[in-house]
Amino acid sequence: MKLSKRKAKERPQKFTGRMQKKLAVLFLLILAAFIGLTVRLYAINRDNGEEYKKQVLSQQEYDSKVLPAKRGEIVDCNGTKVAVSQKVYNVVVDAKTLNGNEGKFLEPTLNALYDSDIEFTYTRDELKDYIRNNPTSQYRIIAKKQGYDAVSPLMDMLNNKAENPNLKGVWLENTYQRTYPYGSLACDLIGFVQGDNEGTYGLEEFYNDELIGTSGREFGYLNDDENLERTIKPADNGNTLVTSIDVNIQSIVEKHILAFNKEHENEFREGNGSKNTGVIIMNPNTGEIMAMASYPVYDLNNPRDITGLTINVDEAYTTQGVVDIDIAGDESVSANSVTAPAGSDEGEETSEEDSEETVTQEETKPQTYEEAYEAAKMEALNDLWKNFCITTTYEPGSTYKPFTMAAGLEEGILTGNESFNCNGVKEVGDHQIHCNNRLGHGVLTFSGALEQSCNVAFMDMGAKIGKTIFMKYNQLYNFGLKTNVDLTGEALTNSLVFDVNTMVPTDLAISSFGQGFNVTMIQMVSGFCSLINGGYYYQPHVVTRIINDEGATVRNIEPRVLKQTVSEETSAKMKELCTNVVALGTGRSARPAGYMIGGKTGTAEKYPRNKKNYVVSFMGFAPAEDPKLVIYTVIDEPNVPQQASARYATLLTRDILTEVLPYMHVFMTEELSEEEREELSAAALTFAESNNKSLSENGIVSENSVSGDETDKGRENLDSAVDSVITFEDEEEKEPERTFEVDPETGYYIEPGTGILLDPETGRPIDDSVSDLE
Amino acid sequence: MSQTRERHKKNKDKTFFDYSMLFIVIFLLSFGLVMLYSVSSYGASLNFNDSAYYLKKQAQATVFGLILMVVVMFIDYHIWRKLAIPAYVVSVVMVLLVLTPLGYEVNGARRWLNFGISLQPAEIAKVGMIIFFAAYVCRMGKNIQTLGGVIRTVLMGVPISVLVLTVTENLSTAIIIFGIIAMMVFVATPNYKEYFVLGGALVGVAALFVYLVKKGVLTSELSYRFGRIEAWLNPEAYSGTTAFQTLQALYAIGSGEIFGKGLGQSMQKLGFVPEAQNDMVFSIICEELGLFGAFMVLLMFLLLIWRFLVVANNAVDMYGALLVVGVMAHISLQVILNVAVVTNTIPNTGITLPFISYGGSAVVFLLIEIGLVFSVSRAIKLKNAGE
Repeated sequence: MKLSKRKAKERPQKFTGRMQKKLAVLFLLILAAFIGLTVRLYAINRDNGEEYKKQVLSQQEYDSKVLPAKRGEIVDCNGTKVAVSQKVYNVVVDAKTLNGNEGKFLEPTLNALYDSDIEFTYTRDELKDYIRNNPTSQYRIIAKKQGYDAVSPLMDMLNNKAENPNLKGVWLENTYQRTYPYGSLACDLIGFVQGDNEGTYGLEEFYNDELIGTSGREFGYLNDDENLERTIKPADNGNTLVTSIDVNIQSIVEKHILAFNKEHENEFREGNGSKNTGVIIMNPNTGEIMAMASYPVYDLNNPRDITGLTINVDEAYTTQGVVDIDIAGDESVSANSVTAPAGSDEGEETSEEDSEETVTQEETKPQTYEEAYEAAKMEALNDLWKNFCITTTYEPGSTYKPFTMAAGLEEGILTGNESFNCNGVKEVGDHQIHCNNRLGHGVLTFSGALEQSCNVAFMDMGAKIGKTIFMKYNQLYNFGLKTNVDLTGEALTNSLVFDVNTMVPTDLAISSFGQGFNVTMIQMVSGFCSLINGGYYYQPHVVTRIINDEGATVRNIEPRVLKQTVSEETSAKMKELCTNVVALGTGRSARPAGYMIGGKTGTAEKYPRNKKNYVVSFMGFAPAEDPKLVIYTVIDEPNVPQQASARYATLLTRDILTEVLPYMHVFMTEELSEEEREELSAAALTFAESNNKSLSENGIVSENSVSGDETDKGRENLDSAVDSVITFEDEEEKEPERTFEVDPETGYYIEPGTGILLDPETGRPIDDSVSDLE
Repeated sequence: MSQTRERHKKNKDKTFFDYSMLFIVIFLLSFGLVMLYSVSSYGASLNFNDSAYYLKKQAQATVFGLILMVVVMFIDYHIWRKLAIPAYVVSVVMVLLVLTPLGYEVNGARRWLNFGISLQPAEIAKVGMIIFFAAYVCRMGKNIQTLGGVIRTVLMGVPISVLVLTVTENLSTAIIIFGIIAMMVFVATPNYKEYFVLGGALVGVAALFVYLVKKGVLTSELSYRFGRIEAWLNPEAYSGTTAFQTLQALYAIGSGEIFGKGLGQSMQKLGFVPEAQNDMVFSIICEELGLFGAFMVLLMFLLLIWRFLVVANNAVDMYGALLVVGVMAHISLQVILNVAVVTNTIPNTGITLPFISYGGSAVVFLLIEIGLVFSVSRAIKLKNAGE
């Protein structure tokens, strides 16, 4: 090498003047380069300064990001949380970054992702394909709403970039997940959240604006000196709803509704123990709803779960294949014969008729079947989600009778001293309208008419009141109008009540005992509260207070009296009359051991009349003297051979009250019999409910009530009824006052005139096809 | 220069110490740390939850580098002349080590070694080549003035440059190493015309490439470097891809105006200029401190280079002078190329701004080089200087 020359040249080399000169030249060249760059810098500012300044500002917008707000909670009257929002994380990928750098980040990043506990919506290969096929995509959510535990390892890796240099193009996004700690409890009342924080049904929808809060934003802005300030405008979390619902009462109610429906499941027809069962418990002195439940229920945490749901696809699609062939040409779904086995044969048939369209038809048919299935599924789900207690309308039946009575009393048309003679039928217009007991109730006192729920007596009352006043009160009780309860989905019934101008005597007659017009449960219970609380019609409501994220009260929702329906006196009288119904009449089986309650039963025949479908119900209040709650139980088509018995509703009410009244610290006022004591202690021990105790117990209950303190009037009624109490259980009616011919073969009574066979015990027709209005 | 000389004339026994250069270096280091913190704090807090993440690492490297600088300062620089061949060998070995498991990738480029502390062998190679070629040119003696000598010298630089280019795929370092050699040879040889012809030829070749790229003969599919030329010619057309960084840097420069938005007030550093703390730090300086700040920074570099000139011209021997010329070539080339890239004057290639850009290895070896220059300056006898 040349370095070996070193020995030859020992004398120190000098940095010669010539070299110094060259170095100076080099320096000048460098200086020239610096000057050139300086000019270039200046030129950039001069030529493009304004443009680039704007560019810089306009880019800033892209850097702002949304900070999601936490949805407000829903709590019960004791502060128990029934709906909460939890922080969860979405995993987002940036395909552009992952494809960058010759795809070197892809594998390490995918390894990190798929080694974690995160549940991805894509498989690893699917995600890989997505990243390949969408190289410009910078935002794709690949895992939704993962809990902190699942994402925390990934979060740690992302926070430590130094150790994970190849983990790129992935980040976590905060969001909130709505959960319902009690699952299906009060599902119809609470509602759920779907999509982007959108409340659906119930409180979630009605109070969506209160709950939703305001999203925050992190953004940069320019201050007066045109300097960028980065600012975080924190999210305004949603407000919390404090409701009047009591989770414990709600649980008791739902437990018994479930027990009833389980007991009668598949009893007479395939399916639940009833088409629907609804119960509302309301505070008559405030209008606050303490419990509201219906059956069937669904899991709020998984509202789209269709297990156990019967989906009735339009028959046309299942039996005859495609009806609507013309919908061809849409995107086709291949190989759907599996989902539509019934239709596949038909496909060949139609193809013979119209060979040109063979292909389209075969592809279209399953498509339309699927559409039909989807439609049927949505229908079934909407049916499940809707709140029976406020959405479903029905004819109330005899539970309306107290309303008729109160109207007459209030107007002075009825005095309370009338007596009625029922021979089982009343002719109104051209119609023969039967009493529920075709044998007739005979002579009834005013109170007896309600106790025995005599249709003839109420038709008489209705006629006396007249349609104008009757309908005035109908509207005063808010029927045909919305109660404006703070829940989504209340039915509008204005077209389902009679118009006073077009009302004929028959309409008035059946209206007087609660048939012919439709109501909702919430209307009935709100109206009934006013009958027994002194006449004050409170607007029913669920939310009592709205508090903000810090716990400060935003709004108090005070009880709101909308109107006075009847006077104090009429109300007191109605309380007494309704107490007699439970003490002496059809409502006896509703009385929980140890308490005196008031109420009225109802057995309404549904339209069409000859189908023999009934809505049975009981409207009650407890305790009788000073009502702390009003309970309304409605069973729509109980799954039993003979639906027309209010017993199903009264017994369900009794079971609920037996647990709810002690929970509410209502003291027992009535003496307990031995059996009741045993029953209560057994119930207390096991807490297991058997809502079908032997009938004889109820007879004894009634006997016991005789020894209790009653008003003179009550005692009088009691004395006159005491026989029937012991002879017939519950709503089984009194001995017929009239004599009938007895069919020698069957032992049934024969109704004179029509020749219809009647059950001697109930007075009801044997033949189901005979129309029977109660 | 004359001031310094006169000031030190009174203490003839004392050795020369270039306080001006020390001040400039310390100023640049301090200014660099301040700017680094300003530029990197956003990304650091985003990625590491620690806004001072880069600052801390850089400060550690700077302190370490200053210690090494002082150590090198007190070592007689003639030792390096004896170690010229080992310096070359070590440089080659270090570059080759990148291929072993010791090497690792950052941002997809395999250019680092991990010895417990991370190290960029390209930085070692730059120092190694300065030491080697200063000695080599001295050994050539008068032979350097012949065409054969020049060719031989340049050929000596080929292996290391090719290695850097192929092994670490680092064109910019290869260019700088070659540039250092070229400048040292330029100073050591008496010719002018030939260099200007050669320089012109190089520019011509480069222009030919650019022309071919422009005509679409050479495209980014052949080499990503051609893609960078495409982006350089028409940055707006590649604003989302290849030219994104360049264009964002231009936005930063253009929005700075004369006095800038103020220290710490850059918007472009907030995630727009990618890796702003590395190659693109100068664009943020322009944005925050404006043209004025940028001129001041360039002026400081120019003063530093001026001090190198002074030291080289007064060096006691040719070896010392050539060492300083090498360092001067290194720093001036990096500054010029970096600023040229940032202003999109030349196509994008990864070159950092000395003392200011983030990079531990770079600052440590730069300070070692400064140590060498101090070592050379300390050998200057003041009486000699006065003559």
